[in-house]
Amino acid sequence: MTFYLLLATALFLMALYGVFASRHLLRRILALNVMSTAVFLWLVTVARAAPGLDPVPHAMVLTGIVVTVSTTAVAVVLVVRLRASHRRHDLP
Amino acid sequence: MDALVPLFDALLGALLLWLAWQSIFAADLFRAVVSFMIFGLLMALAWVRLEAPDIALAEAAIGAGVTGALLLSALGRLPRERYAEAAQHILSHSYWLLFWAPVVLLAWFLWSLEAAPPSPPGLGEMVAIHQPAAGVDNPVTAVLLAFRALDTLLEIGVLLLGSLAIWSLGPSPWSTGPAMPSPALPAMARALFPAFVLVSVYLLWRGSHAPGGAFPAGAVMGAGGVLMLLAGARPWLTGGEQGPWRWLLTLGLGTMLVVASVTQFAGYVFFQYPSDWSGRLITLLELAAGLSIALLLFALYLGGQPPVRWRDRGWQ
Amino acid sequence: MIPDLFQIGPSLLFVAPLFAAIAAFVRPRAGAGIYLVSAGLITVASLALVLMVGTLGAWRMDLGGWVPPLGIGWQVDGLSVAMLLLTALVMGGAGVYRVAEGDAGHSPLFWPLWLFLWGGLNALFLSADLFNLYVTLELVSLAAVALIAMGGRTALVPAWRYFIATLLGSTVFLMGVALLYGQHGSLDMRLLQGALGPAAIELLASLLITLGLLLKGAVFPLHFWLPAAHGRAPSAVSAALSGVVVTAAFYLMVRLWFGPFSPMLTPALALALGAMGAMGILWGGVMALLQRRLKMLIAYSTVSQLGYVLLVFPLVASGILAAQAWHGAVVLILTHGFAKAALFLSAGVLIRSLGHDRIDRLKGPGQGPALAWLAFALGAVSLVGLPPSGGFMAKWWLLQSALAAGAWHWALVILAGSLLTAVYLFRVLGGPTAGAMTPSSDHSTRAMGFTALILALAAWIPGFVPIPLTGALADTWGMP
Repeated sequence: MTFYLLLATALFLMALYGVFASRHLLRRILALNVMSTAVFLWLVTVARAAPGLDPVPHAMVLTGIVVTVSTTAVAVVLVVRLRASHRRHDLP
Repeated sequence: MDALVPLFDALLGALLLWLAWQSIFAADLFRAVVSFMIFGLLMALAWVRLEAPDIALAEAAIGAGVTGALLLSALGRLPRERYAEAAQHILSHSYWLLFWAPVVLLAWFLWSLEAAPPSPPGLGEMVAIHQPAAGVDNPVTAVLLAFRALDTLLEIGVLLLGSLAIWSLGPSPWSTGPAMPSPALPAMARALFPAFVLVSVYLLWRGSHAPGGAFPAGAVMGAGGVLMLLAGARPWLTGGEQGPWRWLLTLGLGTMLVVASVTQFAGYVFFQYPSDWSGRLITLLELAAGLSIALLLFALYLGGQPPVRWRDRGWQ
Repeated sequence: MIPDLFQIGPSLLFVAPLFAAIAAFVRPRAGAGIYLVSAGLITVASLALVLMVGTLGAWRMDLGGWVPPLGIGWQVDGLSVAMLLLTALVMGGAGVYRVAEGDAGHSPLFWPLWLFLWGGLNALFLSADLFNLYVTLELVSLAAVALIAMGGRTALVPAWRYFIATLLGSTVFLMGVALLYGQHGSLDMRLLQGALGPAAIELLASLLITLGLLLKGAVFPLHFWLPAAHGRAPSAVSAALSGVVVTAAFYLMVRLWFGPFSPMLTPALALALGAMGAMGILWGGVMALLQRRLKMLIAYSTVSQLGYVLLVFPLVASGILAAQAWHGAVVLILTHGFAKAALFLSAGVLIRSLGHDRIDRLKGPGQGPALAWLAFALGAVSLVGLPPSGGFMAKWWLLQSALAAGAWHWALVILAGSLLTAVYLFRVLGGPTAGAMTPSSDHSTRAMGFTALILALAAWIPGFVPIPLTGALADTWGMP
């Protein structure tokens, strides 16, 4: 299972870099989504490695996915509103 | 057969990394969003590989489906000429600490991982012991609606709050129906929608004893609704004060709050279910939560407060 | 059967705002009325909890009867109830201010969002479960971003910056939580206490969690998002954000580093946290001095004042007068919350009656509504830390602890910070006091000024009656 832990770490770092490196606001949202998926991957891998599949991280990830879609939706709508009122979609 | 597993893992890992890279750094934003959707679908495969089928369903419906649709619709509202803007690399000074601190930490951690790989203790056994007392057969449902029910209540709260936040930002911006991605989509979506409903009902029913349950069911139903909308169907959810919609959107949170607090007056602690009623109460909460999740996902996709009557906004 | 007050009290604090939020969403026309009823109820319950903890001691709740690590626990101890009381008074007061402001031009969704924010904060201060804390943090962020965006067109960019910073903070926080869960199979803070050692992965987890919280708390140098977000939001929202929402991150840092993470609090780490606090005090103070608009000045002052809270780490680590130091930090969070809310609300009244908040055109207390100026002055005195205000008590305790430990550098920072605060606040107040001082013209301006005054007075209370508060605080689990 170490392989999936490494994969989660790599995805997390890549996304972290993406949050800082990209200017377009939608890209930052995408990077944050990849980042939370990396955390979820970590949790599910831990659940799989535990003796007798641990259902608690599964429940946490289901909760996390729903929370993430809510925040993502608000962030996306905020970008659309910003574009409408400021004519810009990149911010330093 | 066993020799193929590491190969499968390696292939999946490489694909996931490549798609994640594409979705963050692809020069074309449209391509980035599509990569993200495929990334979500492949993640579903990874969840199955890690024996988490519930999450696989939710991820495919929400991560790839609803989030992807939302991003595509937003992309349609942003000016097209800037799509091909190259990913620019800027790191302002105040970000340096924030970026490098985790990188250094994780590098050091990976180095120490070699020395002592983690051996998670997990709560699997404890859940198995207490699950009969909760009155459900599916361990994930037992965690979601009994042991950690407060998380679930707050999660439904976050969904509702997300919809309210979006409403407060203004009216729904997708005013006259999205541009049709494919002429075959409307017919296909109409044919598929009953299938979405059937799958949701099946998942809900199955959830009491096997993977499935309210959350994947709600997610699949919500994704089905979004697909119908993409196919040009007129949304039925309206933003007026009259009518059932405001009540229905708050149904999940309201039911959970009532169930959590009422039993206190019969001598139980906060959020405790009377043992004879536990199974039935959990089924009730699942139904309410599933319906709310479906409706609220759909509301999130609308991107703003829906009008009192969609007909006035040019929907046929 | 008599319902158990130890159960009903905390659960009411959680359930009431959320029920009220639903009601205010379904019946938007009754929003203000629904708010007032629920705010009264929550405030009374918060006060009752403080009294109960002060007289009967702290207690814990296992939700649903499921004992952690299986279930989620709540703790009702000195620190929690202090934060709950702060939340009740600031959210209650700022909400009344909003009611007095009248309905013109307000979104009917304000009340549901406001009540969601309150419910999220109460859940946060009660929770003892790390994953549950993540969900409450997200709830608070979502409500806060929508409320900031109500500041109009100019508030959209600050709202976005706040949102992206806070989401990043939550995700990094969650990564730390995931690492801890993988090691210990538990999310409960009390169970993790004693279980954590100075192993690499645990240190990494605690640092990731702290990094997420530093970002959410706008600690220097991660403060970039705060001033505009707090300065551009509607005044009632600014009061809630500066008074309570940012402090939640500091609350969690104190709770975690003196609780489960305490074996990892090395002198070097304590020094690093203290140094960030000190830099924040000085940098925030200087930036506040350079502002041209009153609300931006107050917002930078938040970066400066909350820096003091981080001084608690090196001071407690030194081991001399440790209890004094951390009581000082908590009282600082409380008095800062009240005083800052009073400043933002009185700035709101000034903007409403004068039509602007340009500092060079504010001619001091000689002009504009007297009540608002009085509230501003009282809040400012407490923020600077002059006796006998509550702010004096807080800074005096921190200073005593620093002097007793022979930590001259921290003592110097504390004094320099106070001096800076005095300079930038009295720049605003330093005008002719006698002049065309007008009693507030209309009814609603008077009511708004009055709520600001009440909050400013709340910041003075710990200066006069510190004993009951420290009595309750003494019963905080895990504290020195």
